[in-house]
Amino acid sequence: MVEGCSMLKPSNMLKKSIWVFHLNTGGCNACDIEILDVLTPYFDVERFGIKLVASPRHADLVLLTGPITRKTLPKVIRTLRAVPRPRLILAIGACAVGGGIWHDSYGVIGGIEALKKVLEEQGVVIDKLVYVPGCPARPEAIIYGVAVLLGIAKPKVKETEVEVIVK
Amino acid sequence: MNKMKPLKLLDIARKTGVVTIRYPNKPPLITSEFRGRIVIDASKCIGCGACVNICPSNALTIKETYDKRIINYFIGRCIYCGSCADVCPVKAITITKDFELATDNIRDLNNRVVHYKAVCCRCGSERHAPENMIKFVIRRVPVAETYAHMATNCKKRKFVEGMLHGRGMLYVEAK
Ligand code: SF4
Ligand code: SF4
Ligand code: SF4
Repeated sequence: MVEGCSMLKPSNMLKKSIWVFHLNTGGCNACDIEILDVLTPYFDVERFGIKLVASPRHADLVLLTGPITRKTLPKVIRTLRAVPRPRLILAIGACAVGGGIWHDSYGVIGGIEALKKVLEEQGVVIDKLVYVPGCPARPEAIIYGVAVLLGIAKPKVKETEVEVIVK
Repeated sequence: MNKMKPLKLLDIARKTGVVTIRYPNKPPLITSEFRGRIVIDASKCIGCGACVNICPSNALTIKETYDKRIINYFIGRCIYCGSCADVCPVKAITITKDFELATDNIRDLNNRVVHYKAVCCRCGSERHAPENMIKFVIRRVPVAETYAHMATNCKKRKFVEGMLHGRGMLYVEAK
């Protein structure tokens, strides 16, 4: 058990409002616009207690967008280190989840899977990570992602493997 | 005048009403143009790999093993462009309106279609293309039947032999 893990139980997490910090790591900005959309009165996530904060030190959840360019990597590590435990991350968009259209470009490290390895080396623990695919992810998809993170909703997608029958 | 401002705001707010959508309780607004994840219909797919070639973000990948051809769709990298649905020769790919794809396990985002490759009709050992693809080719180009069931190396050999035979350089004994 890592320290602070009891906080990770959904029932415990629901007791407090989730404060989010928005971290763009080199995405095209469309995902960021969708995040701003989520915070506008139209989607109004403050009704769920989700609030944008200006400093990672105040945040419970990091909304990470973009494929993590080499230039932003040191800053991303510093930012994530500043987030108090339990450290929750929502990887938003195709870029953050799998590198997106830039997954094999020289300028990026290729999404959150590569970042996880770097963070492990640096000793920064991620307590929970939820992937929200989409390019950009719809505002509803982001809200759904937060629900999955809090354990309110069950993930709908499942890994499938279909063998083709010869006709 | 300034003292009246809050009242004016109240008036505007009353006229506008509530704009917030009630997403988790009510279905979201999805227009006809919206594209979500794709679904590959395994009963139609022939394993040609056209979708893998066109996919701009390599969300669709192909993996060849000795007897299998696996088409893998990784939702996490898909940009929902719909190009794959356009190029598929048998229209096996449909664009759905599904967007609630969040998950905490990245493996959940993989969808695989596994094709078994047919055995070469000449040498009986080499495997080349999925059975359904061969059938598709023969249906489109009936002439190809002689070669379609053969693996690459046997195809080459048969072609060379056929040429030599035609020029009288190869003598095949009648059985
Ligand atoms: S996932 Fe798509 S929309 Fe989002 S930052 Fe990357 S390229 Fe832009
Ligand atoms: S919709 Fe576009 S990105 Fe997604 S699998 Fe098809 S071609 Fe690739
Ligand atoms: S283009 Fe269509 S038939 Fe060819 S591999 Fe892709 S899904 Fe299958």
